[in-house]
Parts: sequence; structure tokens; C-alpha cells
Amino acid sequence: MVDRRAFREGFPLFVPAIPFGLVIGVAAMTSQMPAAGGWLTSVVIFGGASQLATVTLAGTASIWAVMLAGLVINSRHLMYSAALSSTFSRQPRWFAVLGPFVLIDQVFALMVTKTHLEPTEFRRYYITVGLFFYLTWILVVSVGMVLGPVIPVSWRLDVAPALMFTGLVVVAIDRSPALVAAIVGGSVAYLGINLPERLGIVAGAVAGVAAGGVAEMIAMRRGER
Amino acid sequence: MSIMETVLVLGVIAIGTYVARAVPILMLAGRVLPVPVQLALRNVGPAVLSALIVVSISTSSSSPGIQVAELVALVVAGIVARWRRNLIWATGAGLVALWIGLWLF
Repeated sequence: MVDRRAFREGFPLFVPAIPFGLVIGVAAMTSQMPAAGGWLTSVVIFGGASQLATVTLAGTASIWAVMLAGLVINSRHLMYSAALSSTFSRQPRWFAVLGPFVLIDQVFALMVTKTHLEPTEFRRYYITVGLFFYLTWILVVSVGMVLGPVIPVSWRLDVAPALMFTGLVVVAIDRSPALVAAIVGGSVAYLGINLPERLGIVAGAVAGVAAGGVAEMIAMRRGER
Repeated sequence: MSIMETVLVLGVIAIGTYVARAVPILMLAGRVLPVPVQLALRNVGPAVLSALIVVSISTSSSSPGIQVAELVALVVAGIVARWRRNLIWATGAGLVALWIGLWLF
């Protein structure tokens, strides 16, 4: 049942995620969310950026703002799912129902290049990488939670989530609409920093997505890809 | 955050995330998302994450606002991320810049 090629090809994609998982574990231990809840984000959400947003914002923003931030971040998975829908249409129903649970960035990046495989082969590869990423992710976050309390406060690892987010944003900005979305999102969030319940995040996210959408339309009209 | 609030938050995000990952696979069967939805989804990451940077950095320390050392750390992390396209390098360089900045300022 295990696809060894999936291990070989999936492992290099997992290595860069290890520090991310460790930071989430450390953040979970300093979060105002109960530690078990922080750990459970890996088990039930299984999405790094939204997990980090959830544990970072917990207790400092309203639960509505925390939920909205987590949901909006993971909404990009709609595109991954849509891109693989025709391939999944040749799969048994049980797999089409269970498989999407592990459809994270890395799994999509691997599977979108495997759509030519026979349905059985595709399924075996997907299950192997999906379970590999899921189980090792939970392990890495758990290690981060163990390390968190023994790391001195003077190391200021509370800043690590913001640094990680910065890296994610910079890597994600590959076109001008993405830059527009980032600038508008950050600026509006800054202007709304004193809004109650951290509503500045929601305002920034909505404004950034809207500005990005407008910039996309302008770019399309100009023929930019 | 109370246990009940935690359960509610985790439940809603978990279900919402699963819906985002599963509904197109279960419902579309090869059809494509409407263009406006595709355009909106394209830049969700940069928009939301940049808002989170601002909020998380301004709430990361006991002092109000953003410290000079924190700002330097963000800039360094951004430059290194652009240069290396690697989160490990970006976060590590940002932390080193933060420690130097805290020592200097």
C-alpha cells in the first residue's frame, strides 16, 4: 500500500516545514488558548499558517476574528481542490470524501504533477504523502510544544510567528496584484490596530483581497499573467 | 480563551477548512470555479498574512507599538526570504537581526 517514491519525493518538501511546525509548537505554549487546543490545531485543522494565526490571535482577538482569520487563510485550498476535481472523479467515493482532509500546499504541489497516474497508483501515492505529512507534522508541532517552555523568554521567540509570516508573504508575492494585496492588507490592518477585538485583521484581510482582485482584473486587461 | 471557546474556534475552522478542501472535489467533477472567485482567492495569502504580521508584531511585546529592533528583524526576514526563497533562512536571519537590534537599541 505504501508508495516509496512518494516518500522520496515528499521528504524534501517536508524538511522546510519543520521549523514552521516548531514555531507553531512554541507559539501554542505561549498562546492564551489551552495547550491541548493548540496541539489539536495540528490534528483537526492541519494547515500551518492558519494554525499559527489561530494560536497567535487566541485571547487577543474576538473568537469571531480568530475563526475568520483561520478560515480566510485556508480558503485558498478551494483552488487546489478545484484543480484536482477531475482526477478525483475517477476515484472511489470514500477516497473523494477522506482524501481532501490532507490536501495541504505540499500535497497539492506533488499531486498536481501526478494526475496522469492510473487511479489506483494516484490513490496510493496520495495516501502515502498525505499520511506522511499529517503524522510527521503532528510530531514536529508536539516537539515544538515540548521545547517551548525551556526556551528563555529573552530569546524573544514571540516574534518568530511575525518573521515566519513575513517570509510567507514575500515568497507569495510573485506578481503585482499580490504585492497590492499585501500592501493594502497590511496598511489597513495598521490603521485599524486600535479597533476592538483585533478587527483590524479582518478589515485588512477584506481590503487586501478586494484590492488584489481589482489589481488582477487590471492586470488581465493589460495582458499581464 | 475558555475551553468552550477553544472547541468552538477549532470546530469552525476545522469544518471550514475541510469544506474548502473537499467541496470542489465532491461537487465540481472537473468544472472550474467562476473567474471572480478565482481572482479573489489568488491573493488571499498575501492580504491576510500581511495583516497578521502587523497585528502579531504589535502584540508580541509588552511595550505598545512596534520596536525598532522588531522592525529591523521584519525587514531582514523579508530581504532574506526574497533572496533565498527559504523560510528557515528568513526566520533565522530575522531572529539574529532582532537579537542584535535589542542589544544595540
